[in-house]
Amino acid sequence: MKSLQEEFLEILTNYQGILHKVNLIYFRNKTEREDNFQEIIYQLWKSYPGLQNKNSIGSWIYAVSINTSISKLKKERRIEYREKLPESIDKLDVIEELTFHENLRRLIKAIYNLNEIDKSIMLLYLEEKSYDEIAEIIGLSRSNVGVRINRAKETLKQNLNHLKNGN
Amino acid sequence: METNDVQNIWKNIDSEINLKTTDELHQLLTAKTRKTINKFLMIISIDVLVCVGLIAFLLTTMLNRQGDTIYQVNNSILCIFTLFALIVSVLSWNKLQNNKYNLSLKDWLEQRIKLLIKWLLGRYSKLYILLIPVLLVMINLSIHVYYERKSFTEVMQYEESIYGLTVGFIIGLFVSFIAVQKIRRYQLKNLEFLEEIHSHL
Repeated sequence: MKSLQEEFLEILTNYQGILHKVNLIYFRNKTEREDNFQEIIYQLWKSYPGLQNKNSIGSWIYAVSINTSISKLKKERRIEYREKLPESIDKLDVIEELTFHENLRRLIKAIYNLNEIDKSIMLLYLEEKSYDEIAEIIGLSRSNVGVRINRAKETLKQNLNHLKNGN
Repeated sequence: METNDVQNIWKNIDSEINLKTTDELHQLLTAKTRKTINKFLMIISIDVLVCVGLIAFLLTTMLNRQGDTIYQVNNSILCIFTLFALIVSVLSWNKLQNNKYNLSLKDWLEQRIKLLIKWLLGRYSKLYILLIPVLLVMINLSIHVYYERKSFTEVMQYEESIYGLTVGFIIGLFVSFIAVQKIRRYQLKNLEFLEEIHSHL
C-alpha cells in the first residue's frame, strides 16, 4: 500500500503542469517562479490529507495554486488591478529566460498584463474549463464569471494587438 | 486574433514546459523543511554574535576598571551568564545543523522537533521572564558606570544617574520583552510548521 507521501507525489507528478502554468502567468522571473512552485507544493501537501473529493483533484490544484500565487503577490504588496493598457506592455520582460514559441510568449505577456483575478479566469478559460468549474475554483458566481471572461477576452485581444503591432 | 486561435496557441504550452521528475518534486517538498530549520539557525547565529560582542565589551571594561571591585563583580557575573548563554547557543547550533544524511526525513525532523520543543516549551523556557530584568539592570549599570568615567559607588550617589538608569531600565525592559515575545512567536510558528509537516509524513 502506498504511503500518503507517495500518493501525493504521484498526483503532483501527474498534475504539475497546472503549477507551472499558474506560475507563468503570475511571476516574471525564474527565481520567483521557483519560490512560488515550492510554496504551492507545500500548500498542496498541507491540505492534501483533508481533501474530500479525490475526483476533482485538478480543480483543487488550480484553486490552491492560484490562491497561493495571489497570496504571495499580496504579501509582497505587488497586487495590481490594471484595467488600462500600459504604454510599455511590449517591454515587459515577462518570460525572459523561456524559449517558447513567439506566439506563446506574446500570449503569456498579454495575460500577464491582466489584473490578478482576470489572469486566473483567463488561464482556466484557455484550459477549456466550464463556467461552472471556473466559478467553483475562483469562488465567483457563474454569471460573474461570464462577464469577467468577456471583459478579459477583450482586454487580452487589445494587449495582443498592441504587442503584435509593437513588434 | 480570435478566441480559438488563442486557445490553440495556449495548447502548445504543455509541450513547452519542462516537467520535474518525482525525485525533484520530493526534494522541493523536503527543502522547505530544511529552510525552516535554517530560520532557527539564523536566530542562534545572531545570539552567538551578540554573546561574543557582549563578552568582549565586558572583558575590555573590566580590564580598564581594575580598581573598582563592585564594577568587576557586576561584570564578572554578567560575563558568566553570557558565557553560559554562548555555550548553550553554540551547542544548540551544532545539534540543529548536524545533518545525518542516513536518517529519513521523518526521523530527522522528529529529532529537531523534540529539541525545539525542549527549548521553546520545556521546563526552563520561561526563565527569560526572570533573567531579562536582572541582566538588564546589570548591563545598564555596566555601560552607564563605564561611560560616566567614575567608580561604581560614585555613580550610584548621583540622583541623575539613578533616574537615568531607572528610565533606561523601564524602556529597555519594554523593548526587550517585546523583542523576545516576537522572536518566540516566530519560533513557535516555525515549530508548528515543522510539526505539521511531520504529521503528514
